[in-house]
Amino acid sequence: MTFLAAAGGVLGGILAASAVGFSVSRLFAGDLTRAERTAWSLSTGFLVQSLLFLFCVSVAPGCGPAPVLALDLLVVAIALLIPARGQVSTCHIEGQVSTCHFRSRGVLLLFVVAAAACLLFLVQALAEPMWSTDFLAIWGLKGKTIATAGHVPRRLFDDPALYWAHREYPMLVPLSLATLASFAGGWDDQALALLFPVCELATLFALFGFFKRRVSSFAGAAACALTALCFPLYRAVNAGTAEVPFAFSLVLVSTAFLDSLSDRSPLVLTRLAMASLFCVSTKQEGTIFVLLLAAALWIRRRWDGWALVAPPVVHWGLLYFLGGTQPRREFDFTFLQPFRWPELAHRFTVVLGRILGTESLAAWLSLLAIVLYLLVTRRGLADPLLAVFALQILGYVAAFSISSYGPVWAADAAFSRVVATVFPAFTLVLGARVEKEKAGGSVGDEIRPAVEGATSD
Amino acid sequence: MRPGASVSEKLRRGLAAALLVVVAASMLATLRPGELKRRWHLLARSVSGERISPGEGTGFWFDRDYAVFLEEVRRRTQDNATVAVLAPPWPDVYAYQAAYQLAPRRVVDARRSGEASFVAAYRIDATGAPGAIAIPHGTLSRR
Repeated sequence: MTFLAAAGGVLGGILAASAVGFSVSRLFAGDLTRAERTAWSLSTGFLVQSLLFLFCVSVAPGCGPAPVLALDLLVVAIALLIPARGQVSTCHIEGQVSTCHFRSRGVLLLFVVAAAACLLFLVQALAEPMWSTDFLAIWGLKGKTIATAGHVPRRLFDDPALYWAHREYPMLVPLSLATLASFAGGWDDQALALLFPVCELATLFALFGFFKRRVSSFAGAAACALTALCFPLYRAVNAGTAEVPFAFSLVLVSTAFLDSLSDRSPLVLTRLAMASLFCVSTKQEGTIFVLLLAAALWIRRRWDGWALVAPPVVHWGLLYFLGGTQPRREFDFTFLQPFRWPELAHRFTVVLGRILGTESLAAWLSLLAIVLYLLVTRRGLADPLLAVFALQILGYVAAFSISSYGPVWAADAAFSRVVATVFPAFTLVLGARVEKEKAGGSVGDEIRPAVEGATSD
Repeated sequence: MRPGASVSEKLRRGLAAALLVVVAASMLATLRPGELKRRWHLLARSVSGERISPGEGTGFWFDRDYAVFLEEVRRRTQDNATVAVLAPPWPDVYAYQAAYQLAPRRVVDARRSGEASFVAAYRIDATGAPGAIAIPHGTLSRR
């Protein structure tokens, strides 16, 4: 099979996922902008289609894409029978209160920059079969094993020969790759890389749509351009790993969190839960992030943080059902015992010193510019995320401190990579400070009067 | 910007925009044009119908011959086989490439070769072993 034919199959699989995702997400994302709905369709589609694929290969190992497609259609039909709530399109709001014209030169210029950067990642990702170490040892190995075996072999979770393959990691990325491979007619590790630029594009849609609704098109375009230019994340080595989909999930769950601060509707709670599930199913540190968001809600005496906490419980329960208890080989939890605390404190300072001395020095100009930007701009609607990001980074430092391979090794090997995954969500903070929040830009009850008076665009 | 914005407000906004440009430029500086050019050519070849073999890409940067060896092992063993791959222990990507390229076969290292139905030895002369056949850059024997 040629590369183009395989890529066409992968694209078909992504479109099928988006279609099923659209039918399901319309039940909880109908009140968002078109760009946001596109992003939610894709994330929901990956979740639903991976579950359907898992079901199909468990019942009929080696089945092709036909049963998955049939179940896709069934899900679409059922979802369309359910009346969607909150169909008050915020496109109406946009027409009413937008302070920045979509076609302004600045917005267009930023879009051109974002599009060019996206194209660069597309070229980098699709140029050759995926090759990064994490792809070969973890995500690709699991995906290829499932795709070529036609089922999920038990040994992915209990084979001692695969001790290095992180058997405890979430399975959404391997299952998505295996599902797309079934649509492509076989495992093509070059064509399958299309998944990652598509995730980048969806991240930009989520950002732009959110800003267009809550701040302005210009702020959205600025966040899109900054995110697309995040080449430490969107580069060849990250095609095939969970970093790019994880960055997408962080943006979705962050936007749902920001909406939840001003809106307690069931739609927002459902989005919180769905984004949380997407986040924890993509990478294990997603659990830390959603728990931090839940804590931020609890501090505000918002008890609906359960919407963020329930999905990790469900996800880890499912993973336990699939693979049982998995040892955490990369961490030495004995450091948490009181008699090792002095040693742990020393390791913590070593990691902190390494990060401040090496990683931060390498990026000092960007860091300085960001700090100054935060100082010269006014508070924005996404500022509540600042503490969450800081604690997430601190969580990485703590995790490196108990690394089984030594604190310096862990910091050097992973810090810049994991921090890069946070950057697209961090642009929510940067973008929200570009301009003032729209009055009535939230989808909550308080803006309904503005919506009711709006006319269709 | 609003027409009535004060000079200090304009300055503040200008400075903020300049700082974001600095952030963007810093990230842009991490790109390597030579690498981009190489990847563009690889993609153009793929689009024109040519296959990029694993050995040609970045995945076997550490040893191009290893790709040929693994491809031959893959061709000569069944999907459900357990293959012991005897290869250098460092870099560890030798083990990862063997497991990935031979999937869904179960791949084990020398310590678990007793569990294998095939032993593939890379750059080790094992032709004296019973049933061993020579393949490019190594040997393959059935247990």
